[in-house]
Amino acid sequence: MFERFTESARRVVVLAQEDARERADQSIGSEHLLLALCRDDTRGAALLAARGVTAATVEADPRRAAPPDRPCLPDREALASVGIDLDEVRDRVEQAFGPGALDGTRAARRVRRRLWGHIPFDHGATKVLELALREAIRRGDRSIGTEHVLLGMLHRETGRASALLRARGLTLDEVRAALDEPGTAAQ
Amino acid sequence: MADATAVAAAASSRDPATGLAAVSSLRTLLESLEELQVRNARDQGWSWQQIADGLSVSRQAVHKKYRRLGIL
Repeated sequence: MFERFTESARRVVVLAQEDARERADQSIGSEHLLLALCRDDTRGAALLAARGVTAATVEADPRRAAPPDRPCLPDREALASVGIDLDEVRDRVEQAFGPGALDGTRAARRVRRRLWGHIPFDHGATKVLELALREAIRRGDRSIGTEHVLLGMLHRETGRASALLRARGLTLDEVRAALDEPGTAAQ
Repeated sequence: MADATAVAAAASSRDPATGLAAVSSLRTLLESLEELQVRNARDQGWSWQQIADGLSVSRQAVHKKYRRLGIL
């Protein structure tokens, strides 16, 4: 399917993966895709921004899943087995060096990269991409662009990205209509 | 922190998987703490020699390691 993605749409997928990795999430969800859409400079992002959906609002939205209880790098349980309380260590380090200091070190990030070199799409994100393909076919577009990914999100009744967009009043029909306006080649 | 009894049980475990995982995590934690402290020392104007002395390693070792990481 990805061979039919436009350059922008590929970039969105890569950005979503980087976001998931940065947050130590173990899969790419629709909310990662949405954030990536907002960050990329495309027509989809402009449509979203007009409705107040920006990278900042997506990041702050509680529907965006909270960072997981860090799948502990280093591992909390393993350290507890030798009597070290990782949470205590992290608290003290953060008191001295600021929030996220311990998890943001190169050493911690290196381990995360090794563990999750490949981050899979979760069910929701997979559905969004399938629906994006379907939208592209429906519209007779030859390639899948960021706007199709946005439509894919709105197509879903459930999911974090869908809930976030609906809360902002975005509808599938409205975005379809907006994209039907002239000068909106696949991006 | 996990229940104290469970921790005590794990600490006395002879299961290699448990013991090795603990060592591996300690190493990651150590690397993270060292990185933070080296960066902090450099921010405060410490020389590589002073940092090396603090870590009980050679100046070359610490300089090489952290120059590679881009912390200078």
